[in-house]
Amino acid sequence: MTRADKVLIAAVLLCALLGLVTIYRHFFISADQLLPTQATITVAGKVLHTIDLDPVGGNEMMQITGRLGPATVEVAGGRIRMREANCPEQICVKQSWIQAPGSTIVCLPGEIIIHIDGLAPVDAVTR
Amino acid sequence: MFSTRRLVYLSLLLAMATTLHVLEGLFPIPLPFPGVKLGLANIVTLLVLYLYDLRAAMTVAIARVLLGSLLGGTFFAPAFFLGLTGAVISTLIMALLVKKTTCFSPLGISLCGAVSHNLGQLLMASFLLQNQAIFFYLPILLLGAIPTGLVTGYLLQGLLERLKAAGILAELTRN
Amino acid sequence: MTSRGNLLLILCLGLLVVGVTVFLSERRIKEYRSEQFLMDTLVSIKVYGDDAATLPLAIAAAYGEMHRIAALVDRFPLPGSEDCRRSDVCRINEMAGIGPVHVDADTLAMLLLAKKYHALSAGTFDVTIGPVLDLWDFTGDVPKVPASSTIVETLSLVDIESLEVNAAESTAFLRKVGMKLDLGALAKGYATEKALQALAGQGIKKGLIDAGGNIRVLGSNARNAPWRIGIKDPRQADALVAIVTLEDAAAVTSGDYYRYFEADGQRYHHILDPRSGYPASENMSVTVVSQDAGLADILSTVFFVMKEEEALTLAEKLSVNLIMVSAAGRISHTSGLAAHLEVLPGGAYRYDPR
Repeated sequence: MTRADKVLIAAVLLCALLGLVTIYRHFFISADQLLPTQATITVAGKVLHTIDLDPVGGNEMMQITGRLGPATVEVAGGRIRMREANCPEQICVKQSWIQAPGSTIVCLPGEIIIHIDGLAPVDAVTR
Repeated sequence: MFSTRRLVYLSLLLAMATTLHVLEGLFPIPLPFPGVKLGLANIVTLLVLYLYDLRAAMTVAIARVLLGSLLGGTFFAPAFFLGLTGAVISTLIMALLVKKTTCFSPLGISLCGAVSHNLGQLLMASFLLQNQAIFFYLPILLLGAIPTGLVTGYLLQGLLERLKAAGILAELTRN
Repeated sequence: MTSRGNLLLILCLGLLVVGVTVFLSERRIKEYRSEQFLMDTLVSIKVYGDDAATLPLAIAAAYGEMHRIAALVDRFPLPGSEDCRRSDVCRINEMAGIGPVHVDADTLAMLLLAKKYHALSAGTFDVTIGPVLDLWDFTGDVPKVPASSTIVETLSLVDIESLEVNAAESTAFLRKVGMKLDLGALAKGYATEKALQALAGQGIKKGLIDAGGNIRVLGSNARNAPWRIGIKDPRQADALVAIVTLEDAAAVTSGDYYRYFEADGQRYHHILDPRSGYPASENMSVTVVSQDAGLADILSTVFFVMKEEEALTLAEKLSVNLIMVSAAGRISHTSGLAAHLEVLPGGAYRYDPR
């Protein structure tokens, strides 16, 4: 076996594995994860931000102002959460990360709503 | 045309290739992916390339697919066109590597043959099915081509060494 | 590199490939699905399992049960035809006012259910509605509103008390000439339940039957989570009002949007109130969640005809769950459903969780 042979084997192996990974992501991940693309942040009924939820994106912090003062929204890895909020019960902060389409975080006293757009996928529809 | 001597040897090699082609069809590799197979008949195509030239190898490859499909009952079935396209393209690629390069051993060339065979098959399949989604199958075929291509290359390497040691190689290539 | 070294390398690579393929194929739980037109609707069945060979067999057994029930309750074969002789409902209708007819055990079971839930429903459910349904002719090419005098006249033939069911003899008899049974309000659900039992009988642990929107699930879904079943928005195509999660249960909806026509700006749909002979107008849609698809089918019709409070009270009493969209556009549901229900925002309906 020559040196060129080994380079060749490595190249084909690499192509095959890269291809498999691409398809694996395409078929097994995308079905569930490519759909949740955008989240909307609403304060007192007004849309403040529309954010892309990139599954491979890095951390991003956002300062917003609700009715009770400042709040911090964090976006990372296709998920979103209320990191800090100026409200008494901290329910929205405790809810932690959401990522499925149709999910919502509500901060009632601050009148802040974080909603992931799109319909949650269903197995069947009764009609 | 081929000399009578070469014609006889080529006929014998063609008979062997056809036999290997049919035998392999009888014992499929028990994997859940159709299309992954050893490609034993490719040993003969590559041997002919080493011994003679592209024209001889192409003749043997095409004739082998024709005869093999007649014997296997798949003549003019989709499998026949897939095999034919794969055989033609892999023979062309291997000829290029055997005649124009020096850096590859039979293992590497056989691997290239297996990969190009699969590519050719998929091209034909996507044409027949009018469906490009079939190329999602390529990585699995590529992964399969590595061991199968190397195994056939390894067998050919051993065959060439033994033919040489027994002095048959010189006899075969004598005009 | 030596020849032996080459061989070793090749063997290793071969093992790698076999390993990857085995890994990929083992991970995959097999799915098998199939669709058929049956009982005037599209029935789709999907099943999951490790053994690819048993899945199609189980589906075939399930469809076999549905075809059998469908043949028993077929109301419109040609009189005297072979199909009519196979259909218990057709023969009972032919023999109305003449004499009792021997029926299949499943027909008997359906008739007994019909009588039982008529008694529980305060008259909102009556399978002898056939003659009035025929007047409206919802399945016909040019349905029209019948004259009110004709409806009142025909209502005298809608009387489940005049349906005699003899369980010991397995016979059924409509006492008055002109009476007609129509099991449309329960046969699909009953057949769905039978089909599901056939799947389970073949060793299937996971599956879903969708009989034209009558949903029955077996086990959990392919991701090993409860099945997520959308409930259709009664006024907007391709929209959902809510999502309900189910395991080993049925969800059946009765809606005013499924089969209807419009005349003089008014919507006339196919679920008739057997007390008036006119389409029931209290609700847009009622979805019943229960362990049994047959029961869910019956009760979705029963509750659809009722007022909201009446329906919710009866549902609690019968220990089944329901979610309904009233004609006024209000969404309400039984308290037992709260943990399994997600009402979606954005619809044109009012929803106040209690």
